[in-house]
Amino acid sequence: MPSSRWRPWLLLAGPLLVIAGLLLYPIVRVTVLSFQQYGLKEIISGKPEFIGLDNYREALSGSYLWKTVLPNTVVFALVAVAGTIILGTLVALLLQQLGPTLRALVIGSALVAWALPAVTGTYVWVWVFDPDSGIFRRTLQSIGLLGPEGTNWFLDRMSFYAIAALNVIHHGFPFVAITIFAGLATVPEELHEAAKLDGASAWRRFWSVTMPLMRPVFAVVTILSTIWDFKVFTQIYLMPGGDGQNPEVLNLGVWSYIQAINRTEYGFGSAIAVLLTLLLLVITLFYVRAMFREDELR
Amino acid sequence: MRRSSPLAKLGKGVAVTALLAFTLFPVYFMLSTAFNERAGSGTDSLLPKHWTFEHFTHAMGDGHFGTYMVNSAIVTVATVVISCALALLGAVAMARFQFKLRTTMLVMILIVQMVPAEALVIPLFLQMKDLRMLNSLAGLSLVYIAFSLPFAIWNLRGFVAAVPVELEEAAYLDGCSWWQMFRRVLFPLVIPGLIATSAFSFVMAWEEFLFAVTFLNSDARMTVGAGLRQYFGQNVNDWGGLMAASTLVTIPVVVIFVLAQRRLGAGLVSGAVK
Repeated sequence: MPSSRWRPWLLLAGPLLVIAGLLLYPIVRVTVLSFQQYGLKEIISGKPEFIGLDNYREALSGSYLWKTVLPNTVVFALVAVAGTIILGTLVALLLQQLGPTLRALVIGSALVAWALPAVTGTYVWVWVFDPDSGIFRRTLQSIGLLGPEGTNWFLDRMSFYAIAALNVIHHGFPFVAITIFAGLATVPEELHEAAKLDGASAWRRFWSVTMPLMRPVFAVVTILSTIWDFKVFTQIYLMPGGDGQNPEVLNLGVWSYIQAINRTEYGFGSAIAVLLTLLLLVITLFYVRAMFREDELR
Repeated sequence: MRRSSPLAKLGKGVAVTALLAFTLFPVYFMLSTAFNERAGSGTDSLLPKHWTFEHFTHAMGDGHFGTYMVNSAIVTVATVVISCALALLGAVAMARFQFKLRTTMLVMILIVQMVPAEALVIPLFLQMKDLRMLNSLAGLSLVYIAFSLPFAIWNLRGFVAAVPVELEEAAYLDGCSWWQMFRRVLFPLVIPGLIATSAFSFVMAWEEFLFAVTFLNSDARMTVGAGLRQYFGQNVNDWGGLMAASTLVTIPVVVIFVLAQRRLGAGLVSGAVK
Protein backbone atom coordinates (compact mmCIF):
# COMPACT_ATOMS: atom_id res chain seq x y z
CA MET A 1 0.00 0.00 0.00
CA PRO A 2 1.62 3.25 -1.07
CA SER A 3 -0.28 5.41 1.42
CA SER A 4 0.44 3.23 4.42
CA ARG A 5 3.28 5.50 5.55
CA TRP A 6 0.85 8.34 6.17
CA ARG A 7 -2.13 6.26 7.21
CA PRO A 8 -1.27 5.97 10.93
CA TRP A 9 -0.94 9.76 11.13
CA LEU A 10 -4.20 10.22 9.26
CA LEU A 11 -5.91 7.92 11.75
CA LEU A 12 -4.24 9.65 14.69
CA ALA A 13 -5.00 13.20 13.53
CA GLY A 14 -8.41 13.45 15.24
CA PRO A 15 -7.54 11.92 18.60
CA LEU A 16 -4.18 13.73 18.74
CA LEU A 17 -5.77 17.09 18.01
CA VAL A 18 -8.27 16.67 20.87
CA ILE A 19 -5.62 15.35 23.28
CA ALA A 20 -3.20 18.15 22.37
CA GLY A 21 -5.78 20.92 22.67
CA LEU A 22 -7.62 19.79 25.76
CA LEU A 23 -5.07 17.78 27.74
CA LEU A 24 -1.51 18.68 26.72
CA TYR A 25 -2.01 22.43 26.31
CA PRO A 26 -3.78 22.72 29.70
CA ILE A 27 -0.91 20.78 31.30
CA VAL A 28 1.51 23.38 29.94
CA ARG A 29 -0.81 26.22 30.92
CA VAL A 30 -1.29 25.07 34.52
CA THR A 31 2.48 24.84 34.85
CA VAL A 32 2.92 28.38 33.51
CA LEU A 33 0.10 29.64 35.76
CA SER A 34 1.81 28.15 38.78
CA PHE A 35 4.71 30.59 38.28
CA GLN A 36 2.40 33.58 37.94
CA GLN A 37 0.48 35.96 40.10
CA TYR A 38 -2.91 35.37 38.49
CA GLY A 39 -5.91 36.55 40.48
CA LEU A 40 -8.95 38.74 39.95
CA LYS A 41 -6.79 41.82 39.34
CA GLU A 42 -4.70 40.11 36.67
CA ILE A 43 -7.80 38.73 34.92
CA ILE A 44 -9.17 42.23 34.54
CA SER A 45 -5.89 43.77 33.43
CA GLY A 46 -5.06 40.71 31.32
CA LYS A 47 -1.44 40.99 32.44
CA PRO A 48 -0.39 38.16 34.74
CA GLU A 49 2.92 38.75 36.43
CA PHE A 50 5.65 36.13 36.66
CA ILE A 51 6.66 35.70 40.28
CA GLY A 52 8.98 32.70 40.02
CA LEU A 53 8.61 30.17 42.79
CA ASP A 54 6.55 32.37 45.13
CA ASN A 55 3.37 30.28 44.81
CA TYR A 56 5.31 27.12 45.60
CA ARG A 57 7.05 28.82 48.50
CA GLU A 58 3.69 29.88 49.88
CA ALA A 59 2.23 26.40 49.50
CA LEU A 60 5.23 24.57 50.92
CA SER A 61 5.92 26.90 53.84
CA GLY A 62 3.77 26.97 56.93
CA SER A 63 2.22 24.02 58.66
CA TYR A 64 -1.09 23.81 56.77
CA LEU A 65 0.28 21.66 53.92
CA TRP A 66 2.40 19.45 56.16
CA LYS A 67 0.09 19.04 59.14
CA THR A 68 -3.32 19.06 57.49
CA VAL A 69 -3.50 18.68 53.71
CA LEU A 70 -0.73 16.16 53.08
CA PRO A 71 -1.73 13.80 55.92
CA ASN A 72 -5.37 14.06 54.77
CA THR A 73 -4.25 13.11 51.25
CA VAL A 74 -1.62 10.45 51.94
CA VAL A 75 -2.95 8.71 55.06
CA PHE A 76 -6.43 8.58 53.56
CA ALA A 77 -5.09 7.11 50.29
CA LEU A 78 -3.07 4.45 52.13
CA VAL A 79 -6.02 3.41 54.31
CA ALA A 80 -8.49 3.44 51.42
CA VAL A 81 -6.16 1.49 49.08
CA ALA A 82 -5.37 -1.11 51.74
CA GLY A 83 -9.07 -1.47 52.57
CA THR A 84 -10.09 -1.73 48.92
CA ILE A 85 -7.41 -4.29 48.00
CA ILE A 86 -7.88 -6.48 51.09
CA LEU A 87 -11.68 -6.52 50.84
CA GLY A 88 -11.54 -7.00 47.06
CA THR A 89 -9.12 -9.92 47.36
CA LEU A 90 -11.17 -11.61 50.08
CA VAL A 91 -14.31 -11.26 47.97
CA ALA A 92 -12.49 -12.67 44.90
CA LEU A 93 -11.31 -15.67 46.94
CA LEU A 94 -14.83 -16.13 48.33
CA LEU A 95 -16.29 -16.01 44.81
CA GLN A 96 -14.04 -18.94 43.86
CA GLN A 97 -15.58 -21.03 46.63
CA LEU A 98 -19.19 -20.34 45.71
CA GLY A 99 -21.62 -22.20 43.49
CA PRO A 100 -22.99 -20.50 40.36
CA THR A 101 -26.14 -19.03 42.00
CA LEU A 102 -24.46 -17.41 45.00
CA ARG A 103 -21.62 -16.29 42.78
CA ALA A 104 -24.02 -14.51 40.42
CA LEU A 105 -25.74 -12.93 43.43
CA VAL A 106 -22.47 -11.60 44.90
CA ILE A 107 -21.18 -10.34 41.52
CA GLY A 108 -24.54 -8.72 40.83
CA SER A 109 -24.58 -6.86 44.13
CA ALA A 110 -20.95 -5.83 43.66
CA LEU A 111 -21.85 -4.40 40.25
CA VAL A 112 -24.65 -2.38 41.82
CA ALA A 113 -22.25 -0.95 44.44
CA TRP A 114 -19.74 -0.16 41.70
CA ALA A 115 -22.44 1.47 39.57
CA LEU A 116 -23.59 3.80 42.34
CA PRO A 117 -22.27 7.15 41.01
CA ALA A 118 -19.75 8.97 43.23
CA VAL A 119 -22.15 11.88 43.65
CA THR A 120 -25.18 9.83 44.68
CA GLY A 121 -23.07 7.39 46.71
CA THR A 122 -21.61 10.30 48.67
CA TYR A 123 -25.05 11.78 49.37
CA VAL A 124 -26.29 8.41 50.60
CA TRP A 125 -23.43 8.12 53.11
CA VAL A 126 -23.92 11.76 54.17
CA TRP A 127 -27.57 10.89 54.79
CA VAL A 128 -26.64 7.72 56.72
CA PHE A 129 -24.41 9.79 59.02
CA ASP A 130 -26.62 12.89 59.12
CA PRO A 131 -26.13 14.37 62.62
CA ASP A 132 -29.85 15.17 63.05
CA SER A 133 -31.89 12.29 61.71
CA GLY A 134 -29.43 9.90 60.01
CA ILE A 135 -29.92 6.18 60.56
CA PHE A 136 -26.50 5.86 62.25
CA ARG A 137 -27.36 8.37 64.95
CA ARG A 138 -30.79 6.88 65.56
CA THR A 139 -29.38 3.34 65.75
CA LEU A 140 -26.67 4.35 68.22
CA GLN A 141 -29.24 6.21 70.32
CA SER A 142 -31.73 3.35 70.33
CA ILE A 143 -29.11 0.94 71.67
CA GLY A 144 -27.90 3.53 74.18
CA LEU A 145 -24.41 4.16 72.74
CA LEU A 146 -25.10 7.83 72.04
CA GLY A 147 -26.77 10.38 74.31
CA PRO A 148 -29.67 12.60 73.24
CA GLU A 149 -27.30 15.47 72.36
CA GLY A 150 -25.80 13.53 69.42
CA THR A 151 -22.54 14.20 67.58
CA ASN A 152 -21.64 15.80 64.26
CA TRP A 153 -19.20 13.31 62.75
CA PHE A 154 -18.41 15.62 59.86
CA LEU A 155 -16.72 18.23 62.05
CA ASP A 156 -13.90 16.00 63.28
CA ARG A 157 -11.16 15.25 60.76
CA MET A 158 -10.76 11.60 61.76
CA SER A 159 -14.44 10.69 61.62
CA PHE A 160 -14.90 12.78 58.45
CA TYR A 161 -12.23 10.72 56.69
CA ALA A 162 -13.49 7.48 58.23
CA ILE A 163 -16.83 8.13 56.51
CA ALA A 164 -15.03 9.08 53.28
CA ALA A 165 -12.98 5.85 53.46
CA LEU A 166 -16.14 3.80 53.95
CA ASN A 167 -17.62 5.51 50.89
CA VAL A 168 -14.52 5.05 48.71
CA ILE A 169 -13.92 1.42 49.75
CA HIS A 170 -17.57 0.54 49.16
CA HIS A 171 -17.38 2.10 45.70
CA GLY A 172 -13.92 0.76 44.81
CA PHE A 173 -13.76 -2.85 46.04
CA PRO A 174 -16.04 -4.33 43.33
CA PHE A 175 -13.58 -3.37 40.57
CA VAL A 176 -10.74 -5.01 42.49
CA ALA A 177 -12.81 -8.11 43.36
CA ILE A 178 -14.04 -8.68 39.81
CA THR A 179 -10.62 -8.05 38.24
CA ILE A 180 -8.80 -10.35 40.69
CA PHE A 181 -11.51 -13.01 40.36
CA ALA A 182 -11.07 -12.95 36.57
CA GLY A 183 -7.30 -13.20 37.07
CA LEU A 184 -7.64 -16.13 39.50
CA ALA A 185 -9.33 -18.13 36.75
CA THR A 186 -6.00 -18.07 34.87
CA VAL A 187 -4.09 -19.76 37.73
CA PRO A 188 -3.80 -23.47 36.80
CA GLU A 189 -5.78 -25.70 39.16
CA GLU A 190 -3.01 -28.37 39.05
CA LEU A 191 -0.59 -26.10 40.89
CA HIS A 192 -3.02 -25.85 43.79
CA GLU A 193 -3.67 -29.59 43.77
CA ALA A 194 0.07 -30.30 43.84
CA ALA A 195 0.63 -27.89 46.72
CA LYS A 196 -2.30 -29.46 48.56
CA LEU A 197 -0.76 -32.93 48.16
CA ASP A 198 2.45 -31.55 49.60
CA GLY A 199 0.42 -30.54 52.64
CA ALA A 200 0.41 -26.76 52.14
CA SER A 201 -2.29 -24.88 54.05
CA ALA A 202 -4.75 -22.55 52.28
CA TRP A 203 -2.81 -19.56 53.64
CA ARG A 204 0.49 -20.97 52.37
CA ARG A 205 -1.03 -21.88 48.97
CA PHE A 206 -2.30 -18.33 48.56
CA TRP A 207 1.10 -16.73 49.26
CA SER A 208 3.28 -19.33 47.48
CA VAL A 209 1.15 -20.28 44.46
CA THR A 210 -1.56 -17.68 43.79
CA MET A 211 0.31 -14.53 44.72
CA PRO A 212 3.42 -14.92 42.51
CA LEU A 213 1.30 -15.73 39.44
CA MET A 214 -1.15 -12.92 40.18
CA ARG A 215 1.53 -10.30 40.81
CA PRO A 216 0.83 -8.31 37.60
CA VAL A 217 -2.92 -8.18 38.30
CA PHE A 218 -2.31 -7.04 41.87
CA ALA A 219 0.16 -4.44 40.60
CA VAL A 220 -2.39 -2.97 38.20
CA VAL A 221 -5.29 -2.81 40.68
CA THR A 222 -3.07 -1.47 43.48
CA ILE A 223 -1.56 1.30 41.38
CA LEU A 224 -4.89 2.29 39.82
CA SER A 225 -6.53 2.41 43.26
CA THR A 226 -3.61 4.43 44.62
CA ILE A 227 -3.96 7.00 41.83
CA TRP A 228 -7.73 7.23 42.28
CA ASP A 229 -7.58 7.55 46.06
CA PHE A 230 -4.83 10.19 46.05
CA LYS A 231 -7.01 12.54 44.04
CA VAL A 232 -10.49 11.80 45.39
CA PHE A 233 -12.45 15.00 44.91
CA THR A 234 -16.20 14.48 44.61
CA GLN A 235 -16.41 12.33 47.74
CA ILE A 236 -14.69 15.00 49.85
CA TYR A 237 -16.10 18.16 48.25
CA LEU A 238 -19.72 17.01 48.64
CA MET A 239 -19.44 16.10 52.32
CA PRO A 240 -20.47 18.78 54.85
CA GLY A 241 -17.56 21.19 55.21
CA GLY A 242 -15.62 19.58 52.36
CA ASP A 243 -16.27 22.49 50.02
CA GLY A 244 -13.89 24.73 51.95
CA GLN A 245 -15.97 25.66 54.98
CA ASN A 246 -13.90 23.38 57.19
CA PRO A 247 -10.17 23.84 56.34
CA GLU A 248 -9.31 20.85 58.56
CA VAL A 249 -10.72 18.34 56.08
CA LEU A 250 -9.25 19.47 52.74
CA ASN A 251 -6.93 17.29 50.66
CA LEU A 252 -4.55 18.46 47.90
CA GLY A 253 -7.11 18.32 45.09
CA VAL A 254 -9.87 20.12 46.98
CA TRP A 255 -7.46 22.72 48.39
CA SER A 256 -6.19 23.53 44.90
CA TYR A 257 -9.75 23.79 43.57
CA ILE A 258 -10.95 26.07 46.34
CA GLN A 259 -7.96 28.40 46.02
CA ALA A 260 -8.34 28.65 42.24
CA ILE A 261 -12.04 28.50 41.47
CA ASN A 262 -13.71 29.73 44.68
CA ARG A 263 -11.08 32.32 45.67
CA THR A 264 -9.91 33.21 42.11
CA GLU A 265 -6.26 32.63 43.06
CA TYR A 266 -5.50 30.79 39.82
CA GLY A 267 -1.73 31.01 40.22
CA PHE A 268 -1.61 29.65 43.77
CA GLY A 269 -4.24 26.98 43.02
CA SER A 270 -2.20 25.91 39.98
CA ALA A 271 0.95 25.50 42.08
CA ILE A 272 -0.91 23.10 44.40
CA ALA A 273 -2.32 21.29 41.35
CA VAL A 274 1.20 20.87 39.96
CA LEU A 275 2.38 19.45 43.30
CA LEU A 276 -0.50 16.91 43.21
CA THR A 277 0.36 16.03 39.62
CA LEU A 278 4.03 15.47 40.45
CA LEU A 279 3.02 13.18 43.29
CA LEU A 280 0.79 11.18 40.93
CA LEU A 281 3.45 11.18 38.22
CA VAL A 282 5.86 9.39 40.54
CA ILE A 283 3.21 6.71 41.09
CA THR A 284 2.52 6.59 37.34
CA LEU A 285 6.20 5.94 36.60
CA PHE A 286 5.93 2.77 38.67
CA TYR A 287 2.85 1.87 36.61
CA VAL A 288 4.66 2.39 33.29
CA ARG A 289 7.65 0.38 34.53
CA ALA A 290 5.38 -2.47 35.63
CA MET A 291 3.69 -2.47 32.22
CA PHE A 292 7.04 -2.50 30.41
CA ARG A 293 8.16 -5.41 32.52
CA GLU A 294 5.10 -7.35 31.39
CA ASP A 295 5.95 -6.54 27.73
CA GLU A 296 2.61 -4.76 27.40
CA LEU A 297 4.10 -2.00 25.30
CA ARG A 298 5.71 -4.07 22.57
CA MET B 1 -16.50 -29.49 42.38
CA ARG B 2 -15.27 -29.10 45.95
CA ARG B 3 -17.01 -30.91 48.78
CA SER B 4 -17.21 -28.86 51.93
CA SER B 5 -17.90 -29.61 55.57
CA PRO B 6 -21.04 -28.19 57.24
CA LEU B 7 -18.82 -25.78 59.18
CA ALA B 8 -17.23 -24.41 56.02
CA LYS B 9 -20.68 -24.09 54.50
CA LEU B 10 -21.87 -22.08 57.49
CA GLY B 11 -18.79 -19.86 57.26
CA LYS B 12 -19.47 -19.18 53.60
CA GLY B 13 -23.11 -18.43 54.34
CA VAL B 14 -22.16 -15.91 57.01
CA ALA B 15 -19.53 -14.30 54.76
CA VAL B 16 -21.94 -14.00 51.83
CA THR B 17 -24.71 -12.56 54.01
CA ALA B 18 -22.41 -9.98 55.61
CA LEU B 19 -21.00 -9.02 52.22
CA LEU B 20 -24.41 -8.61 50.60
CA ALA B 21 -25.58 -6.52 53.56
CA PHE B 22 -22.57 -4.20 53.31
CA THR B 23 -22.72 -3.97 49.51
CA LEU B 24 -26.41 -3.35 49.14
CA PHE B 25 -27.11 -1.35 52.31
CA PRO B 26 -26.55 2.15 50.82
CA VAL B 27 -28.59 1.27 47.75
CA TYR B 28 -31.38 -0.12 49.89
CA PHE B 29 -31.30 2.90 52.16
CA MET B 30 -31.39 5.26 49.17
CA LEU B 31 -34.45 3.47 47.75
CA SER B 32 -36.26 3.18 51.06
CA THR B 33 -35.79 6.92 51.70
CA ALA B 34 -36.88 7.80 48.18
CA PHE B 35 -40.15 5.90 48.62
CA ASN B 36 -40.76 6.98 52.21
CA GLU B 37 -43.42 9.61 52.72
CA ARG B 38 -41.88 10.62 56.04
CA ALA B 39 -38.26 10.63 54.85
CA GLY B 40 -36.00 12.76 57.00
CA SER B 41 -38.68 13.56 59.53
CA GLY B 42 -36.96 11.57 62.26
CA THR B 43 -39.81 9.08 62.48
CA ASP B 44 -39.00 7.23 59.26
CA SER B 45 -37.69 3.70 59.56
CA LEU B 46 -35.52 1.34 57.51
CA LEU B 47 -38.64 -0.07 55.90
CA PRO B 48 -41.05 2.73 54.93
CA LYS B 49 -44.47 2.47 56.61
CA HIS B 50 -45.99 5.06 54.29
CA TRP B 51 -45.01 4.49 50.68
CA THR B 52 -45.12 7.29 48.14
CA PHE B 53 -44.04 8.18 44.61
CA GLU B 54 -44.30 11.83 45.47
CA HIS B 55 -40.54 12.40 45.80
CA PHE B 56 -40.03 11.09 42.27
CA THR B 57 -42.82 13.08 40.66
CA HIS B 58 -41.63 16.13 42.56
CA ALA B 59 -38.03 15.68 41.37
CA MET B 60 -39.06 15.19 37.76
CA GLY B 61 -41.89 17.73 37.73
CA ASP B 62 -41.52 20.77 39.99
CA GLY B 63 -37.76 20.90 40.18
CA HIS B 64 -35.37 21.18 37.29
CA PHE B 65 -34.25 17.62 37.56
CA GLY B 66 -35.96 16.52 34.35
CA THR B 67 -33.93 19.14 32.47
CA TYR B 68 -30.73 17.95 34.16
CA MET B 69 -31.43 14.39 33.04
CA VAL B 70 -31.99 15.47 29.43
CA ASN B 71 -28.80 17.58 29.48
CA SER B 72 -26.78 14.67 30.87
CA ALA B 73 -28.21 12.40 28.19
CA ILE B 74 -27.14 14.83 25.44
CA VAL B 75 -23.63 15.25 26.83
CA THR B 76 -23.24 11.51 27.42
CA VAL B 77 -24.36 10.43 23.94
CA ALA B 78 -22.09 13.04 22.31
CA THR B 79 -19.15 11.92 24.44
CA VAL B 80 -19.63 8.20 23.86
CA VAL B 81 -20.16 8.43 20.09
CA ILE B 82 -17.37 10.91 19.32
CA SER B 83 -14.77 9.55 21.73
CA CYS B 84 -15.32 5.92 20.65
CA ALA B 85 -15.08 6.84 16.96
CA LEU B 86 -11.87 8.84 17.47
CA ALA B 87 -10.41 6.23 19.83
CA LEU B 88 -11.02 3.39 17.37
CA LEU B 89 -9.03 5.24 14.70
CA GLY B 90 -6.25 5.91 17.18
CA ALA B 91 -6.29 2.33 18.42
CA VAL B 92 -5.98 0.96 14.88
CA ALA B 93 -3.00 3.23 14.23
CA MET B 94 -1.35 2.06 17.46
CA ALA B 95 -2.07 -1.64 17.06
CA ARG B 96 -1.59 -2.13 13.31
CA PHE B 97 1.14 0.24 12.17
CA GLN B 98 4.81 0.52 12.98
CA PHE B 99 5.84 4.15 12.79
CA LYS B 100 8.30 6.55 14.29
CA LEU B 101 7.31 7.89 17.73
CA ARG B 102 4.80 5.07 18.25
CA THR B 103 6.15 4.02 21.65
CA THR B 104 6.61 7.66 22.62
CA MET B 105 2.98 8.25 21.81
CA LEU B 106 1.81 5.21 23.79
CA VAL B 107 3.73 6.37 26.83
CA MET B 108 2.39 9.91 26.37
CA ILE B 109 -1.18 8.58 26.28
CA LEU B 110 -0.53 6.57 29.43
CA ILE B 111 0.93 9.56 31.25
CA VAL B 112 -1.72 12.03 30.08
CA GLN B 113 -4.31 9.62 31.44
CA MET B 114 -2.76 9.89 34.89
CA VAL B 115 -2.75 13.69 35.08
CA PRO B 116 -5.59 14.40 37.50
CA ALA B 117 -8.67 16.24 36.31
CA GLU B 118 -8.23 18.36 39.46
CA ALA B 119 -5.06 19.84 37.95
CA LEU B 120 -6.57 20.51 34.53
CA VAL B 121 -9.81 22.04 35.74
CA ILE B 122 -8.07 25.40 36.34
CA PRO B 123 -6.54 25.90 32.85
CA LEU B 124 -9.59 24.33 31.16
CA PHE B 125 -11.89 26.71 33.02
CA LEU B 126 -9.84 29.68 31.77
CA GLN B 127 -9.65 28.16 28.27
CA MET B 128 -13.42 27.64 28.10
CA LYS B 129 -13.90 31.17 29.37
CA ASP B 130 -11.67 32.53 26.59
CA LEU B 131 -13.57 30.46 24.02
CA ARG B 132 -16.90 31.61 25.51
CA MET B 133 -17.84 27.99 26.05
CA LEU B 134 -18.62 28.13 29.76
CA ASN B 135 -22.15 27.05 30.60
CA SER B 136 -22.36 25.21 27.29
CA LEU B 137 -23.09 21.51 26.85
CA ALA B 138 -20.80 21.44 23.80
CA GLY B 139 -17.86 22.74 25.85
CA LEU B 140 -18.50 20.18 28.56
CA SER B 141 -18.79 17.34 26.02
CA LEU B 142 -15.49 18.40 24.43
CA VAL B 143 -13.71 18.09 27.78
CA TYR B 144 -15.31 14.69 28.46
CA ILE B 145 -14.26 13.46 25.01
CA ALA B 146 -10.68 14.52 25.72
CA PHE B 147 -10.69 12.81 29.11
CA SER B 148 -12.14 9.53 27.87
CA LEU B 149 -9.88 9.32 24.79
CA PRO B 150 -6.60 8.08 26.32
CA PHE B 151 -8.25 5.22 28.19
CA ALA B 152 -10.46 4.40 25.21
CA ILE B 153 -7.48 4.22 22.84
CA TRP B 154 -5.53 2.15 25.33
CA ASN B 155 -8.44 -0.23 25.88
CA LEU B 156 -9.42 -0.62 22.20
CA ARG B 157 -5.82 -1.14 21.19
CA GLY B 158 -5.89 -4.55 22.86
CA PHE B 159 -9.06 -5.56 21.05
CA VAL B 160 -7.70 -4.47 17.65
CA ALA B 161 -4.42 -6.31 18.26
CA ALA B 162 -6.40 -9.49 19.02
CA VAL B 163 -7.89 -9.55 15.49
CA PRO B 164 -5.70 -11.91 13.39
CA VAL B 165 -3.71 -10.06 10.70
CA GLU B 166 -4.45 -12.98 8.33
CA LEU B 167 -8.09 -11.87 8.13
CA GLU B 168 -6.97 -8.44 6.93
CA GLU B 169 -4.62 -9.94 4.39
CA ALA B 170 -7.40 -12.18 3.08
CA ALA B 171 -9.56 -9.07 2.59
CA TYR B 172 -6.80 -7.40 0.55
CA LEU B 173 -6.44 -10.56 -1.57
CA ASP B 174 -10.17 -10.31 -2.27
CA GLY B 175 -9.52 -6.83 -3.63
CA CYS B 176 -10.70 -4.72 -0.68
CA SER B 177 -9.28 -1.24 -0.16
CA TRP B 178 -8.04 -0.35 3.33
CA TRP B 179 -11.28 1.37 4.26
CA GLN B 180 -13.38 -1.52 2.93
CA MET B 181 -11.28 -3.93 4.99
CA PHE B 182 -11.73 -1.66 8.03
CA ARG B 183 -15.51 -1.53 7.62
CA ARG B 184 -16.10 -5.18 6.76
CA VAL B 185 -13.42 -7.05 8.73
CA LEU B 186 -11.92 -5.03 11.55
CA PHE B 187 -14.95 -3.05 12.70
CA PRO B 188 -17.36 -5.97 13.24
CA LEU B 189 -14.69 -7.86 15.18
CA VAL B 190 -13.92 -5.05 17.64
CA ILE B 191 -17.56 -4.39 18.54
CA PRO B 192 -17.16 -6.17 21.92
CA GLY B 193 -14.29 -3.79 22.67
CA LEU B 194 -16.39 -0.83 21.64
CA ILE B 195 -19.15 -1.97 24.00
CA ALA B 196 -16.75 -2.13 26.95
CA THR B 197 -15.16 1.21 26.05
CA SER B 198 -18.46 3.00 25.58
CA ALA B 199 -19.70 1.64 28.91
CA PHE B 200 -16.73 3.32 30.64
CA SER B 201 -17.14 6.66 28.87
CA PHE B 202 -20.91 6.54 29.33
CA VAL B 203 -20.54 6.23 33.10
CA MET B 204 -17.82 8.89 33.26
CA ALA B 205 -19.84 11.45 31.28
CA TRP B 206 -23.17 10.66 32.92
CA GLU B 207 -22.11 11.19 36.51
CA GLU B 208 -19.16 13.59 36.14
CA PHE B 209 -19.12 16.21 38.85
CA LEU B 210 -15.96 18.33 38.88
CA PHE B 211 -16.19 19.94 35.43
CA ALA B 212 -19.97 20.10 35.48
CA VAL B 213 -20.01 22.04 38.74
CA THR B 214 -17.22 24.34 37.54
CA PHE B 215 -18.41 25.07 34.01
CA LEU B 216 -22.19 25.12 34.33
CA ASN B 217 -24.08 27.86 36.14
CA SER B 218 -27.67 27.84 34.95
CA ASP B 219 -30.54 25.44 35.57
CA ALA B 220 -31.18 25.22 31.83
CA ARG B 221 -27.68 23.78 31.20
CA MET B 222 -27.03 21.80 34.39
CA THR B 223 -26.28 18.06 34.19
CA VAL B 224 -27.19 15.53 36.89
CA GLY B 225 -23.76 15.45 38.56
CA ALA B 226 -23.80 19.15 39.40
CA GLY B 227 -27.61 19.27 39.50
CA LEU B 228 -27.86 17.03 42.56
CA ARG B 229 -25.80 19.54 44.49
CA GLN B 230 -28.12 22.31 43.37
CA TYR B 231 -30.99 20.22 44.64
CA PHE B 232 -29.29 19.61 47.97
CA GLY B 233 -28.60 23.29 48.49
CA GLN B 234 -32.14 24.40 47.79
CA ASN B 235 -33.94 21.80 49.91
CA VAL B 236 -31.61 21.20 52.82
CA ASN B 237 -33.78 18.70 54.65
CA ASP B 238 -35.57 17.14 51.69
CA TRP B 239 -33.83 13.79 51.99
CA GLY B 240 -36.70 12.02 50.24
CA GLY B 241 -36.36 14.28 47.20
CA LEU B 242 -32.56 14.03 47.14
CA MET B 243 -32.66 10.23 47.39
CA ALA B 244 -35.34 10.01 44.68
CA ALA B 245 -33.18 12.16 42.40
CA SER B 246 -30.13 10.04 43.31
CA THR B 247 -32.06 6.91 42.39
CA LEU B 248 -32.91 8.38 38.99
CA VAL B 249 -29.21 9.19 38.40
CA THR B 250 -28.16 5.69 39.42
CA ILE B 251 -30.58 3.64 37.28
CA PRO B 252 -28.90 4.21 33.86
CA VAL B 253 -25.48 3.36 35.32
CA VAL B 254 -26.75 0.12 36.85
CA VAL B 255 -28.37 -0.82 33.54
CA ILE B 256 -25.12 -0.18 31.62
CA PHE B 257 -23.04 -2.12 34.15
CA VAL B 258 -25.33 -5.12 34.05
CA LEU B 259 -25.41 -5.08 30.24
CA ALA B 260 -21.62 -4.73 29.88
CA GLN B 261 -20.93 -6.92 32.92
CA ARG B 262 -18.75 -9.62 31.38
CA ARG B 263 -16.60 -7.14 29.49
CA LEU B 264 -15.75 -4.68 32.27
CA GLY B 265 -12.83 -6.46 33.93
CA ALA B 266 -11.80 -8.63 30.99
CA GLY B 267 -9.79 -5.98 29.12
CA LEU B 268 -7.65 -5.11 32.12
CA VAL B 269 -6.98 -8.72 33.04
CA SER B 270 -6.04 -9.75 29.50
CA GLY B 271 -3.67 -6.80 29.53
CA ALA B 272 -2.05 -7.80 32.80
CA VAL B 273 -1.97 -11.60 32.40
CA LYS B 274 -0.49 -12.96 29.23
